[in-house]
Amino acid sequence: MNILVFTKRVAATQEEELRIRDEGAAVDLSKVPFKINDWDNYSVEEAVRIVEKEGGTVTAISIGDAESDEVLRRAIAMGAKDGFLIESDAVMHDPGARSRLILNFIKKENVPFDVIFTGVQSEDDQFGCVGGILGAILGLPYSSMVIGIDAIEKDHMIIRRELEGGLQERVKLAVPCVLSIQSGINEPRYVSIMGIRKASKVERKVFKAADYPAENAPGIEIVRWTYPAKKGGATMLAGELDVMCGQLLGILKEKGVYQ
Amino acid sequence: MSYALIVAEVRRGVFEERNLDSVGLAALLGKETVLFVPEGPYQIPEKIADTIVRAKTAEETFLNPLNLTKMLEQIFAGRGKPDYLIFTQSSSGMECAPYSAGFFGLPVITDVSAYDKDKGIFYKSYYSDKVFGEFKPAGGAAVVLTVRSGSFKECAAERSVAAKIEELSGIAETEGRVFIEYVEEEKSDIDITKADFLLSVGRGIGNKDEIPAYEDLANKLKAVLSGSRPVIDKMWLPKPRQVGTSGKTVKPKVYLAMGISGAFQHIAGMKDSDCIIAVNKDTEAPIFQYAHFGIIADIHKVRDKLKEIVNG
Ligand SMILES: Cc1cc2nc3c(=O)[nH]c(=O)nc-3n(C[C@H](O)[C@H](O)[C@H](O)COP(=O)(O)OP(=O)(O)OC[C@H]3O[C@@H](n4cnc5c(N)ncnc54)[C@H](O)[C@@H]3O)c2cc1C
Ligand SMILES: Nc1ncnc2c1ncn2[C@@H]1O[C@H](COP(=O)(O)O)[C@@H](O)[C@H]1O
Repeated sequence: MNILVFTKRVAATQEEELRIRDEGAAVDLSKVPFKINDWDNYSVEEAVRIVEKEGGTVTAISIGDAESDEVLRRAIAMGAKDGFLIESDAVMHDPGARSRLILNFIKKENVPFDVIFTGVQSEDDQFGCVGGILGAILGLPYSSMVIGIDAIEKDHMIIRRELEGGLQERVKLAVPCVLSIQSGINEPRYVSIMGIRKASKVERKVFKAADYPAENAPGIEIVRWTYPAKKGGATMLAGELDVMCGQLLGILKEKGVYQ
Repeated sequence: MSYALIVAEVRRGVFEERNLDSVGLAALLGKETVLFVPEGPYQIPEKIADTIVRAKTAEETFLNPLNLTKMLEQIFAGRGKPDYLIFTQSSSGMECAPYSAGFFGLPVITDVSAYDKDKGIFYKSYYSDKVFGEFKPAGGAAVVLTVRSGSFKECAAERSVAAKIEELSGIAETEGRVFIEYVEEEKSDIDITKADFLLSVGRGIGNKDEIPAYEDLANKLKAVLSGSRPVIDKMWLPKPRQVGTSGKTVKPKVYLAMGISGAFQHIAGMKDSDCIIAVNKDTEAPIFQYAHFGIIADIHKVRDKLKEIVNG
């Protein structure tokens, strides 16, 4: 089984203070560390496990600037055979534009595949769209929130997808298909610096996004960036650590959950 | 005709409450509202929309992007394409919305949590709510949207008359993607929904080895330990302990969140707690917007200090 896995390099902003620049024109990411999108880490792992069992190859593909090579090396260290970088210096916010670029790339380069994996969503833009749009424009069956692959046959797969509140549904999908993989589907393997260094020796192919222009489909545009509207907000406890912790215990007592 | 088409979610015979957020957004958009639902014996407010189209098919076949796009094609053939095709930001909405966008060649904006009517701008979360993007469909084109639950419910005004009911039949079911069965979550002896006091830990705890120390704190405070999704994904805590949309919805007297940033899927599962206390080292963590009390500090230090005080 040949699996294409999309991996995105994203800004790790969870612990960063983000500043908007130029009156809303940009978000300053110059001091923010970057990493592989968490959801894509799970999907690379899932793809590698499948080919380890069933045979075939995993090809990691990333759209981004030259730095995105980093996530391809990481995917190769995990067990992918190839890494393709579709280089584009401009960030494409519109997931539709990214999906159509992927479609044109796959067609023009005749990239063979049985299954395409994406993550459920990018951590940075949280669109959760590239997989679904791609499935539709390729004319293939699609499922998202995939939390288990129970069976793989020549012409179909049985998967489990997550619904709300712990409920799942089991679904049969014809192959080829596109799946968006949910976090927690597996336990991704540890990747060492040594492993990544070794992976650097595997040749990655670089393509130019400009060579795969998409026909003019209607898209979306970003007008500007803004900070979230402040809601009520919390009463912040202040002072030394023991003062704050004392206050916290006081609140627990007042609420009657701790004596 | 100019209209908004809402694809409603019905799960296990329940018309999901988050559909009201889609209805609310459609009202804000000022369009005639057509609500598309599957067949079934569930309750649905009859003045919720101008028209209700009932598909003659079960809920499991309805929320299947391959079937759904074929049904939508039938509706569009009759009424024309809608100006807005609206889903909820849920498991099935997140699957069907982009697929429909690709299928019909429409742009899509997901996780919409506010709308500026004057500017025609949709607000969408970026970087887990630290920043929002103001988006609009280029060239004012029709657009597919998913709506963050809790965002527009109060805009959902009742109509003066009951909705017109229409039926959609002759639905062809795809072979490409077929529902087999629902799978229930494993049973657990600890039910976090019944606890008065939850100590909930997030990715901020760093690694699995920290869990016993938080378990110990929970025991000392007589709290039950729960977690955000990454903690469960990494198998640091079992799945029935997960708080959030894809885990449990909890309403304890006190919810003490340590090292949790406050993504909407987490907030949706705990925002109705009587008292929310958040501990985080990031002053801008979105969870502080929902908490009643906040502490900006290293969670491990807070944990150790609390233990110290409690031990006396
Ligand atoms: C379909 C879908 C369903 C989902 N369902 C759920 C769900 O049910 N429940 C859920 O929780 N999530 C769910 N998520 C995931 C959600 O979007 C977030 O990714 C997740 O909630 C983030 O968890 P977190 O806050 O623990 O981690 P992060 O967002 O990584 O936040 C970690 C926080 O810890 C803080 N921190 C780090 N170290 C320290 C320290 N030493 N001291 C103090 N603070 C520290 C950081 O500042 C940060 O704010 C779902 C996502 C999708 C797409
Ligand atoms: N620039 C990109 N490069 C590689 N993969 C991407 C890119 N953008 C999106 N994807 C894939 O599509 C998934 C969903 O992305 P999004 O629609 O941006 O939330 C991600 O988890 C990736 O697998």
